[in-house]
Amino acid sequence: MCGIIGYNGFRDANKVLIDCLKRLEYRGYDSAGIAVIGKNLKIFKEIGEISKLEKEIPDLKGNIGIGHTRWATHGSVTKENAHPQTSSDKKIAIIHNGIIENFKILREKLEKKGIKFRSQTDTEVIAHLISENYKDNLEDAVINALKKIKGSYAILAISKDEPNKIVGARKESPLVIGVGDNENFLASDIPALLKYTNRVKYLEDNEICILSKNDVKIYDQNKKEIKKEENIIKWDFKDAEKSGFPHFMLKEIYDQPDTIQKVFLGRVSEIQRNIEFPEKVETLLNNGIESIHIVACGTSYYSGLVGKYIIEKLTGIPVFVELSSEYRYFGTKNEKSLVIGVTQSGETADTLAALKEAKNSGCRTLVITNVIGSTATRISDAYILTQSGPEIGVAATKTFTSQILVLFLTALKISINQDNIGADELYKYILYLKELPRKVRQILEESDQILKIAKELKNSKSVFFIGRGINFPLSLEGALKLKEISYIHAEGFAAGELKHGPFALLTKTTPVVAILTKNSTYDKMIANIGEVKARGPKVIAVAEEDDTEIEKHADFVIRFPSNSSLLSCIPISVILQLLAYNVANLKNCSIDKPRNLAKSVTVE
Amino acid sequence: MKAVILAAGEGRRLRPYTETIPKVMIPIANKPILEYVIESVRKSGIDEIILVVGYKKEVIMEHFKDYKKAKISYVTQDKQLGTGHALLQAKNLLESSFIVLSGDNIIDQNSISKLIKDSSEYSMLIKENPNPSKYGVVFIEKGKLKKIIEKPKENLGKFISTGIYKFPKSIFKTLKDLAFEGIYDISSAIQYILKEENTINTILASSWADIIYPWDIIKLNENMIHSSSSISGTVEKGVTIKGNVTIGKNTTVYAGCYIVGPVIIGEGCEIGPNSCIFPSSTIGNNSVVHPFSQIRNSVIMNDVHIGSNSVIKNSIIGRGSIIRNNFSSVNGKAVIEVEGEFKKLENIGSMIGEDCDIGNNVIIDPGKIIGTKCKIAPLKRIIENIASKTKVI
Amino acid sequence: MKCVILAAGEGKRMHPLTFTRPKVMIPIANKAILEWNLINSIDAGIKEFIFVVGYRSEMVRNYFGNGKKWNVKIDYVNQVEALGTAHAISMAEKFVDKFIVMCGDTIFGKDDIKKILENEQSMGLYKVENPKEYGIVETKDERIIKIYEKMQNPFTDVINAGIYHFNKKIFDYIKKTEKSSRGEYEITDSINKKAESESIKGIYLKEWRDVVYPWHLLDANEEILSKQKEKINSDIEKNITIKGNVLIGKNTKLMNGTYIEGPVVIGNDCKIGPNCYIRPSTSIGNNCHIGNACEVKNSIILDNSNVPHQNYVGDSIIGQNCNLGAGSKVANLRLDKKNINVRINGKKIDTKRRKFGITLGDNVQTGINSVMNVGTIIGNDSYIGPGAIVSGEILPFTKLL
Repeated sequence: MCGIIGYNGFRDANKVLIDCLKRLEYRGYDSAGIAVIGKNLKIFKEIGEISKLEKEIPDLKGNIGIGHTRWATHGSVTKENAHPQTSSDKKIAIIHNGIIENFKILREKLEKKGIKFRSQTDTEVIAHLISENYKDNLEDAVINALKKIKGSYAILAISKDEPNKIVGARKESPLVIGVGDNENFLASDIPALLKYTNRVKYLEDNEICILSKNDVKIYDQNKKEIKKEENIIKWDFKDAEKSGFPHFMLKEIYDQPDTIQKVFLGRVSEIQRNIEFPEKVETLLNNGIESIHIVACGTSYYSGLVGKYIIEKLTGIPVFVELSSEYRYFGTKNEKSLVIGVTQSGETADTLAALKEAKNSGCRTLVITNVIGSTATRISDAYILTQSGPEIGVAATKTFTSQILVLFLTALKISINQDNIGADELYKYILYLKELPRKVRQILEESDQILKIAKELKNSKSVFFIGRGINFPLSLEGALKLKEISYIHAEGFAAGELKHGPFALLTKTTPVVAILTKNSTYDKMIANIGEVKARGPKVIAVAEEDDTEIEKHADFVIRFPSNSSLLSCIPISVILQLLAYNVANLKNCSIDKPRNLAKSVTVE
Repeated sequence: MKAVILAAGEGRRLRPYTETIPKVMIPIANKPILEYVIESVRKSGIDEIILVVGYKKEVIMEHFKDYKKAKISYVTQDKQLGTGHALLQAKNLLESSFIVLSGDNIIDQNSISKLIKDSSEYSMLIKENPNPSKYGVVFIEKGKLKKIIEKPKENLGKFISTGIYKFPKSIFKTLKDLAFEGIYDISSAIQYILKEENTINTILASSWADIIYPWDIIKLNENMIHSSSSISGTVEKGVTIKGNVTIGKNTTVYAGCYIVGPVIIGEGCEIGPNSCIFPSSTIGNNSVVHPFSQIRNSVIMNDVHIGSNSVIKNSIIGRGSIIRNNFSSVNGKAVIEVEGEFKKLENIGSMIGEDCDIGNNVIIDPGKIIGTKCKIAPLKRIIENIASKTKVI
Repeated sequence: MKCVILAAGEGKRMHPLTFTRPKVMIPIANKAILEWNLINSIDAGIKEFIFVVGYRSEMVRNYFGNGKKWNVKIDYVNQVEALGTAHAISMAEKFVDKFIVMCGDTIFGKDDIKKILENEQSMGLYKVENPKEYGIVETKDERIIKIYEKMQNPFTDVINAGIYHFNKKIFDYIKKTEKSSRGEYEITDSINKKAESESIKGIYLKEWRDVVYPWHLLDANEEILSKQKEKINSDIEKNITIKGNVLIGKNTKLMNGTYIEGPVVIGNDCKIGPNCYIRPSTSIGNNCHIGNACEVKNSIILDNSNVPHQNYVGDSIIGQNCNLGAGSKVANLRLDKKNINVRINGKKIDTKRRKFGITLGDNVQTGINSVMNVGTIIGNDSYIGPGAIVSGEILPFTKLL
């Protein structure tokens, strides 16, 4: 969602704000702005990337300020709609991450009182409400203003008349306090602050914080002070550089031979033939599990769907995969259930809500995430890290394959605990796992074959992806990747479903990507391809290296090296990622920051 | 001052290893050669490096993506036409005098410091060497370069060029002019500059190493392996460690192993139980050596599996290869042909490329080179080189 | 007059001790290096301090707090990026007027600090026996001409001691300082710029001690202990022998058969004995247990560590929270009596000492009857199994079974 940052200290505020905003850019980037109090309260806003805003700011004196990078929810992308938003007298500036649900009514009321609105944002309402309630004390004005608001928010407010404080408030939108020496910070997430301090205090919902240069005070809604402990963050969240790759996404695709390895590091032993997780996870997976629920959003939902096939095949336990936003309303809850939340950032609001609900119902909760210290790791019983390093490109690539592999290891572990898998079979899987980095590297080296196919697809208006069994969720993911970054309409289907409707959409100009592995679904897939071809479209098959049959049926073939049928999903995913990347690249799309998308959706 | 490192070349004579990675990325003592060069450059005080990449450049960019100790920029040489042409790609990133080196020759930092501090406009590092090098033989008079002869057929002089130079920005005009005439190498540019009455100062380099053929990897590994020693990971009881041995993080050395340094074992490996690793061996990351195997004076790259009861001496095993049980790399004399030249070797084992699958009980005769992705069925005896992607059944 | 102390460095050559603490927090004679400087500065008359912190700043902040314990005011500024001494000093710009600056990891004496205080625009100098290791200073008639980088053939044995008296103008020179060949902003470069147009007085110090590698801590420990005054704060049972200068903390129990030869310092809440032998120049931290049949000589043992049963520890440094299993022993002398070599960060270094034992990081556990050879370095949180024989450099989090 949006990224927010506040600084009160001894350094030049504008430099610190811009530095931290750059680390937050992945959260939202259609516009950015800062407000700094020096002799006066000055505001700078620009549409486009933060580097554009940086160029506009002169040598600014002032040691207190707030900054924002925006992902539009209300109102189009314009300079007026960018934050910070101000009160009519321009004395109060605020920034906001979240959605005000009743903003229309509030806006009407304020307009009736004669207030002129300059933007279309819901945020501006808050600025005027604070100004209305302002009587020499900023925090009181903020508290009173927030009483009228329904919705989610993380707000930072500053006032020209009280140039020594920043007031922050949080409700269902992340806000973290960074404690420094003679300086303090507020930010949407920890990585933004880590360069300057590793001491944080977490704000919880409905809490207010007053940040001065030397002090941080936290209050509840009744202005009763709350004492909080400092947490020392031990990790070192280095900013990833593209290092010569033209896009983060490409670099992250190429990261996969390494990130796949990192999933097994310290967890898989070939000589001892076993899988070992940290104690909390081992305990969680050890006692009888009757059902497994995987909750996730977006690409993580698809890795959950792939995981379902793997877990059911290896353990026989029924697996339900649900969209997090739906789980909280319709999900089944049970003490013998293991609920696995899959979230790259650990902050996805919908998934967090689902996990909380699961926990409240007495379910066991396990989280698979890439970010240590994230909210998800704190609210679940145990967590397994994908250890992939930061993923900056908005379209998930390496975290997708790592998530599937963690689910695979989890399935193996449960299977071992159930006594369901023999030592030899386990050893076979371990060897397959260890071969994966090599196979992925091979695909990366032979990526020219994918570039050729991308040229075929780049002018299409619509592309279909089909697969059966474990390849069905891969077809969904392939379509999502293509959609996300090349803006070509794409849809994934279970191959058997085409004839029940979607066939009507097939024409000569809608290529179909068919995913085939040599297993029990192979013959049916060949038949499906025949049906598709009969209706005109070109068929691009993603097939195994030694599959000679497919050449007779498909127009183009992209090959991947064979592996265990349960693990072919990994090389296939890499092919689908490269396909989407190459198509988007040929179309000159903005790959790392696709229009209208944000990396981690923290609003619901 | 900035440094330009030429890292675009393929290194054809180092096949099969250069089929999937550029020459500069061949690992020596578990570090790519290029990393040694970059470290030497950085330690001599330079903090901005320009890498000219080309062949398989993603491998280089991937490896150095987290490198923070110096600023690295990349320029691409699309067609490998020559060293001068490679250097030309960096033109726009340089404002003043700079040094240029090749990414595939290991050089020490003192020599680079001497080159930087030298006051002449043009200077170069030279080395005493009985064998002529690809950069040419140089003739000196009073410390200044008199003549340079590129790739001579006979052994003419005592000194060779290391390919490491300090140039002023004006060199680019010379390179451009020569490129116009279809001349793309730096040595020719040097000749030209000499003709124009410019003095080129020569400085003797302290330590400089080059690899040309696959077996050079073993020798260079032996030379570079000695210095470091530190233990990490898990070492079970009953393991004997002697001499300088480095064991990486998350590696487990099982009971009964006997490791005599200098030996480097990478991260995430599993060694043993009861395996022996003798000097000067390097084992890359994520490799597994099954029980009762012996490794001596060999370079084992990343992701390699070595089956039980195998003997690997004076050999190279490429990345990702799987060697099954009871493998023997026979040692002895060999005569190897590479690109029309015949080389005699005294004591050499097997050189196996990347991603091979070698079945149980295979024996390979001395000096044989197995290409990438070869598959050899069990119980075979290999008496000649195997080309890449071949199946021996 | 404020005193700025640079406390941001990691001190990589002090590994493994500096994996878990900044260099200035390494205790010598039971006080952190930084604390010695604080105390000596307070004795010289300073009441306000600014610590420039960075690496593991929480360890400095948690120990020193706001300075109330010493009746002085301590403030902190975070350097954030390790960009050099000039950059570190520039962090203090908004908080000082005229001020003195000292490197927190070198111990300065109170008389010398006083002298620097009394001389505006001055810097400390010291004569050493090995000027090749340091930046040397060229002076003329007490004026600083230039500070030179380390050189192979130094023309003088006078080095830059690392303590300065500046006024606000230094910040202008720092802003004009360029990155050195090391890639850092060095205060020595700023001073050289200043020396071109202003007069800086060179003041020869009487006391100066810097520590680079772990074994230097033993030398510093010996020197500081030799100056301490005896004080026993605890109950002592009968049949205890104490010779020479021994400092014992509160609540420390000394049991029968304990034999202590000073100078030795023992912290609070320790359990010493019965029947143990503690020999000169040993510092034992708080809450330590030196048990039956143990001998400790010329060593530094940090807080919460145990040398509990039948151990020998000689010429060694043991980190915090370590536990030596029964019978664990340290070798501190080679059989051929040659100098002992140690590997730090993979590099082999001659300690130039005939006797040197082990250096343990924090949280190390050794199994019963384990044997540690001369010069062994064991990284924090490592585990040495029963009966294991250890030598060389062991990195943190290693299991040697």
